[in-house]
Amino acid sequence: MNKDRTLVQIALYAAVIAALGLLPKFNIPVAGGVPLTAQTLGLMLAGIMLGPVRGFLSVALFILVVALGAPLLAGGRGGLGVFAGPTVGFIVGFPFAALVTGLMMQQLQRVNLFAAALISSIVGGILVLYAFGIPGMVVMTSLDFAGAAKAILVFIPGDLIKALIAALIAQSVLRAMPGIIPSRQAIV
Amino acid sequence: MPDKGGYTLGPLFNVVANTAVSWFSRKQKTPTLAHEAPLYASLSDSICIEQVDLQRANSPLFLQLSLRWEESRVGLIGNNGSGKSSLVRLLNGLITPQQGRVSVFGYDTVKQAALMPALVGFIFQNPDHQMIFPTVAEELAFGCEQLGQSAQQARVSALALLTEQGIASWADRPVTQLSEGQKQRVCILSVLIMKPRLLILDEPFSSLDLPTRRQLLALIHSTDMHVLLISHDLSVYADFDRLIWVDEGQIKADGAPDDVIRTYLAAIDKLSVSL
Amino acid sequence: MISLYLAHSSWLHRLPAGFKLCLLAAASMIILPVTQLEWMVVFTLAAALLYVTLGNRGWQNLEMVRPLLPFLAVIMLFHLWAGSFYEGGVSVLRLVTMFLLANLVTLTTRMSDMMEALQPVFRPLQWIGISPRALALAVALMVRFAPVLVLVMNSLDEAWRARGGRKKKWRLIAPLIIQAIRLSDHVAEALTARGGSSGISVRPIETRR
Repeated sequence: MNKDRTLVQIALYAAVIAALGLLPKFNIPVAGGVPLTAQTLGLMLAGIMLGPVRGFLSVALFILVVALGAPLLAGGRGGLGVFAGPTVGFIVGFPFAALVTGLMMQQLQRVNLFAAALISSIVGGILVLYAFGIPGMVVMTSLDFAGAAKAILVFIPGDLIKALIAALIAQSVLRAMPGIIPSRQAIV
Repeated sequence: MPDKGGYTLGPLFNVVANTAVSWFSRKQKTPTLAHEAPLYASLSDSICIEQVDLQRANSPLFLQLSLRWEESRVGLIGNNGSGKSSLVRLLNGLITPQQGRVSVFGYDTVKQAALMPALVGFIFQNPDHQMIFPTVAEELAFGCEQLGQSAQQARVSALALLTEQGIASWADRPVTQLSEGQKQRVCILSVLIMKPRLLILDEPFSSLDLPTRRQLLALIHSTDMHVLLISHDLSVYADFDRLIWVDEGQIKADGAPDDVIRTYLAAIDKLSVSL
Repeated sequence: MISLYLAHSSWLHRLPAGFKLCLLAAASMIILPVTQLEWMVVFTLAAALLYVTLGNRGWQNLEMVRPLLPFLAVIMLFHLWAGSFYEGGVSVLRLVTMFLLANLVTLTTRMSDMMEALQPVFRPLQWIGISPRALALAVALMVRFAPVLVLVMNSLDEAWRARGGRKKKWRLIAPLIIQAIRLSDHVAEALTARGGSSGISVRPIETRR
């Protein structure tokens, strides 16, 4: 039962990330004119809600299905084409972002949930993601490192808002279902 | 401008390696398929619950519950939260008792848990929770694959069943596009294809339209499987062999459907008067 | 389930998936080291031409480049800024070409065939306890439940709007996750009842009464 449960959880969470990308015009506050997709929010939440290992697997599954040809990335993108695009680094970094978010949540067990989720999301969902994304852009676009970094700096404010929202969501899910967040089973 | 050759070799190498592996593996034969799961002889004709203790959510639900039947059409009634769902989940090992023993046709649901999926078919209340696969044929084929058939064999078996049922055109339909009744029918077929000996139905009628409901009732009466049915609709028990009323984890009444229904209704009426 | 696959037949559809992936790898090996703009233009046009050979529905898919355009514009802008106009042109065209070719494989290959072709790549996952069967099951489950969760999301949205909610739609994500967790409990139970992810190893003898 336990193995099946884990498998189903991983798959259904991957489906949640897909659903977040399929929503047309998700009404998240727009920062500096850059529209925010809910999908990177999904990765942060994967790490928070499922923990590092299952979070990683779940996001990796999502990426696999995208690679197989499902247009599930925000804006209806998908297929092998996205792996030949300038944002390939981000996509490859998705599972690792969830992994690190989950690891951070474990480290911050004693901090209150909102703060822990916020910090974890920033470290996993922004720092780690960009650590994959920027080199990916350098490789794909032959821009130099500084240029690539500048080109995607505009996304940072939006990502900070997403980290904040991820923390708020984690809080409200935990309130509705105590004990559901892996790193918070003992407390609460 | 950076030297792209150095940067791009990494991902490129992966693609090459992956495709090379897939290319070579084509040359290999497909691995020999597992034989169909071996058979165990039937040990008994009865379903037994012996002195079972069960805790749900930290409060005891069943205390020394015992129940036994050999009849092939048995119904289970009771209010929500009475323990019906837990009771039927004991019968296929989804829930294991803290104390006591549950056996189905002589097979212990805990010690021989591996036998249960092939022995006991379970139809859940909501078809949306039960269907695992995106298309109808895959959903049916899964049961055959579970029993050890190869993917191709399983698809053939699934298509054969669909053709036999006169719904061959459903095969590649996405399950999300089916009506509620059609979904439930697919769920039932996907359980029947595994040929279980006991069929448990947990409120299967709640989302069905009239034609599908009548079809399902006809199936329940014509099948040579043992049937255990949970339903709030008391009219479906008309031709049943036995009816059991469960309340707060205890057997309140057990016997011929008419008698049990009369006792049950009387008790409900008494309760509503006191409201 | 929506997929980018073009349900339609062409010479590319008929090639085996593994072979197409090999071709893609070979093409990228040829294209990636090229630094002359002239050659890159030729490659891009050749890739576009391949879409035309797919028939009249094929070339329409060239417009799938469109979501890429803002990115390409930004990249070009940064190259202009750095004074590397020539390299910028080469790298933008390289991206377009690679995207077109990779996308072509996706357009002409069924998801199930792609999964089949990738099986050997997944085999090493067994060493860390992920069997090919569990993986296939996970893919199927995700493909099955993504549309279900979109429906859940839409009904949450309706309920939200019926009660006057217009903004802050992110508030719907928490209930979406809660519903997904509940759903996963039910589905896991149904999966276990049918033998679970590892299949059935023994079964009782069928007896006809």
